[in-house]
Amino acid sequence: MSFGEQFLVHPDLFPARRSGETWGERELVIDLPGGPYLFTGLNAGQEAHVRRRFGSFCGLGAGSPPAVETRFFRAAEADFREIDTRGWEYGLDLDFGLAAVRVAGLRLMARLDWRPGLAAAVWTPDAGGEAFAGIFENAFRALVSYRLLESGGVVLHGAALARRQEGGGAFLFLGRSGAGKSTVSRLGMERGLTVLSDDLNALLPGELPGAAVATVAAATAVVKLPFTGDVGEPGAPSPPHPLRALFRLEKSAEEAVSPLSRAEVVGCLLACSPFLNTDPYRRETLVSILSALVPRSLPAYALRFSLTGRFWELPELA
Amino acid sequence: MQPLALRSILRRRADVRFRVIDREAVVVRQSAAEVVVLNEVAARILTLADGSTSLESWVDVLAAEYEASRETLERDVAGFAAELVEQGLLEVA
Repeated sequence: MSFGEQFLVHPDLFPARRSGETWGERELVIDLPGGPYLFTGLNAGQEAHVRRRFGSFCGLGAGSPPAVETRFFRAAEADFREIDTRGWEYGLDLDFGLAAVRVAGLRLMARLDWRPGLAAAVWTPDAGGEAFAGIFENAFRALVSYRLLESGGVVLHGAALARRQEGGGAFLFLGRSGAGKSTVSRLGMERGLTVLSDDLNALLPGELPGAAVATVAAATAVVKLPFTGDVGEPGAPSPPHPLRALFRLEKSAEEAVSPLSRAEVVGCLLACSPFLNTDPYRRETLVSILSALVPRSLPAYALRFSLTGRFWELPELA
Repeated sequence: MQPLALRSILRRRADVRFRVIDREAVVVRQSAAEVVVLNEVAARILTLADGSTSLESWVDVLAAEYEASRETLERDVAGFAAELVEQGLLEVA
């Protein structure tokens, strides 16, 4: 199937540039790693639903020049195929290029263009409502992934849980859909840990004040993203946490850990890097960044866990 | 799976990209959107599969790098190469 055919009636008419009729004059700023992200061309209803979805992430960074602007344009209902979403696992269709990436999805067309700075555009027939918030988030996830790469960071499919004591650091649990990220998150919450996100988190380079270099990978930080799965709501922004250890999830009847080599860690991170791991123009950069984010001192394990949650008693998770 | 003849010439498939990290290889099969990690020996073989040299010449190279009998190296190289062909990482040139 060619690009866009799953979602679009006329994929050959995909917008060639950022242009069209906007939905309105409303705009808002969301500050996440790689941002601030400015969104323009919204109507009041769309803005309201985005603010409701992203809560206190909105408005932050409004005093700083935006790193990326995304403009929203109207699209006709007739441009999109009707899709029966019952039992359907949602995915986006991406078309990769050196200077642009095109995105097609459910009632969504988007472009990321580098000219040379990154700018984005979204076309949708959705005037506002809960469905629009989902459309917005799908485009935003892709945008943050690409923008973060430019900053030397990555977005990862994984659950991040933090110890509540100051400087306690965060644990990253990696795995694709169905690996057990939400289960690990719930079990961790029962034991007093804070779930940053059970779906997507950012991994960033940089020294963190107060991190004990001897015991944690102080050169790598886990940052909460407001993109959650089954556990919790986007909530409020959270400061960066030093990465304490990384675990590749494997469901099992018993609890056990086995160390991962650095290559195995990079391979796991690569498999859990959405959008970019299938982008042939940026994969080499992604691998380089992942290699840099994984110092030899980082504890990393394959974690076999059961639903008892006893794995939290393992010394590697102390 | 039959081991390959030592005169065989193999090359990496066009959709294979890899990076050696601490002597192991992180390999991406773009067509299958698959990521695999190869151990040190398999990673070395992947590096040698340039489409112009035979498995026998790989054995010559590895004989200088590893303390193993030639018989062992020939058996292991042929076996590993066949595995990598079966995994879709290498093909006969």
